Amino acid sequence: MILQARNLGWGVRRLPIVQGVDLAVREGETLGLVGPNGSGKSTLLRLLAGILKPTSGEVAVEGRPLSGLPRRLAAQKIAYLEQQADTGEAITVRDAVELGRTPWLTPLQPWSDEDDRIVAGALADADLRGFESRFWATLSGGEKQRVHLARALAQRPRILLLDEPTNHLDVRHQLSMLDLVAALPVTSIIALHDLNQALTCDRVGVMAGGRLVALGSPEEVLSVERIAEVFGVRASIVVDPADGTRIFRLDHLR
Amino acid sequence: MTIATAGRPSVARLWWRWPVGLAAMAATVFAGTCIGETPIPLSIVVQTLANKVLGAAYPLDPIDMGIIWNYRLPRALVAASCGAGLALSGLVLQSLLRNALADPYLLGISAGASTGAVTVTIAGIGGGAVSMSLGAFAGALTAFLLVALLARAAGGGVSARGTGQIILAGIAGSQLFNALTSFIITKSANAEQARGIMFWLLGNLSGVRWPDVTLAVPIALTGLIACVWCARALDAFAFGAESAASLGIPVRRVQIVLIGLTALVTAVMVSIVGSIGFVGLVIPHAARFVVGVRHGRLVPATALTGAAFLIAADVLSRTMIPGQVLPIGVITALVGAPAFALILLRGRRRP
Repeated sequence: MILQARNLGWGVRRLPIVQGVDLAVREGETLGLVGPNGSGKSTLLRLLAGILKPTSGEVAVEGRPLSGLPRRLAAQKIAYLEQQADTGEAITVRDAVELGRTPWLTPLQPWSDEDDRIVAGALADADLRGFESRFWATLSGGEKQRVHLARALAQRPRILLLDEPTNHLDVRHQLSMLDLVAALPVTSIIALHDLNQALTCDRVGVMAGGRLVALGSPEEVLSVERIAEVFGVRASIVVDPADGTRIFRLDHLR
Repeated sequence: MTIATAGRPSVARLWWRWPVGLAAMAATVFAGTCIGETPIPLSIVVQTLANKVLGAAYPLDPIDMGIIWNYRLPRALVAASCGAGLALSGLVLQSLLRNALADPYLLGISAGASTGAVTVTIAGIGGGAVSMSLGAFAGALTAFLLVALLARAAGGGVSARGTGQIILAGIAGSQLFNALTSFIITKSANAEQARGIMFWLLGNLSGVRWPDVTLAVPIALTGLIACVWCARALDAFAFGAESAASLGIPVRRVQIVLIGLTALVTAVMVSIVGSIGFVGLVIPHAARFVVGVRHGRLVPATALTGAAFLIAADVLSRTMIPGQVLPIGVITALVGAPAFALILLRGRRRP
């Protein structure tokens, strides 16, 4: 198990936001996290990234407790892409992506050609070639999202935690972002809103009221009954006659 | 890799900047030593320095030598340290608080340092065991903590972005500490002391001698080295503290160390030359304009520009009105206030 959470919980002023989450993530898999707004997906990701200190339970990375790991070493293993991180600084796309190398550099271990290669690769993977010298303020929401992805990729992590990475992206870039993440030789946990995108993950976890209420293969976890219970919508499954892929059609409960 | 090499030269190839920077710094200090009220020929300045530093034995007028060695050179060195130190303090605050208007003067840190210094020298707290700089440091830290707490309670938070809360809290803090300073002076100082203190408060380098150099230069260098060491951490704060943490920065430790150092640098500079405003605000923006936002380049550029700026301001303050010395704070404010306005206007136009 590359990443493991045991009885993980976090709350503010006795209001539990995440509680009792047990989760074991296998090396190389892509785990989708779904759940309604406020169900604790983002908080769970921040706990797994080690950015929030859990109020109960613990996270282990490669069998070692995350809380005992210096931030720099943790960041060499785990990259976290937060929602809507913004800046007022006049930084360029290249500057922002180069930040991803931070955990690998020290004042005594300066920038190398290898870092240049990694950054160029990350820019290419996020379809940002030609954007290198564009200023942050001139980018659209989707372009900013792709810069954040490139920064996370430049971190060369073993675990990638993505909080709604497809937000703001156009349809083509949504698909290529998910394909890219699935093709990467890393373990990924992705918070998603689109249930059809969740269907393409290796496994899916469902969050509701701060708890992980289901975890398993997309077909067994995303049942029509559970979708009705957790999201309060009626789902019907449509099969694409061309290749037999299942698609959700969603409606109000009546 | 052609793009990479064209867009951003590697660090190894940038090492030449350090000797060039040092040479530029030496040249500015030298210029500050040459220019003054009493015109002294360049050759005499060079000969004095040769006598003192290299042990040469040019026959010179002891008065000229005294002016150059005991008066102008220490003054230029302290001005350089002060300018560099205050500018770096502003840069650190702007990066960590993610606020373009952050500066030790606007956040009340300088005012707190003044109060601390006055408490020790005039009111005699500490009974002589506490030095003026230490009192200033205590005052500076207290002021920053108060301002940060007030900003947080007002909903701004130290790391919140785009809010004016910390600046407003800083104004409240400055007013409070300036009032405390005036109160202490009025209550405890005699007329002679009060006049001297008032002049010192506006920023004044005329009393600076060699012992001040041995305090100011090491403190400024400590600040510079710490900032160079933390340059990547400062870069990583571009997208906020949470993002910095996910990039492997020990956020809390970096914040405490760097803000503590900022308070120390500001306090020492204030205790030597009084509170000089706007250097910390204006210089980092000027440096950003030239070298961009990456701290690897920005930190040395800010230190150098700050040093040059304050030496120039000091020269102006000595020579602008013949026979009169203007407080240096007046010069920096005359330049700084319009620059402050410019920053505000630029911020408005930004999308």
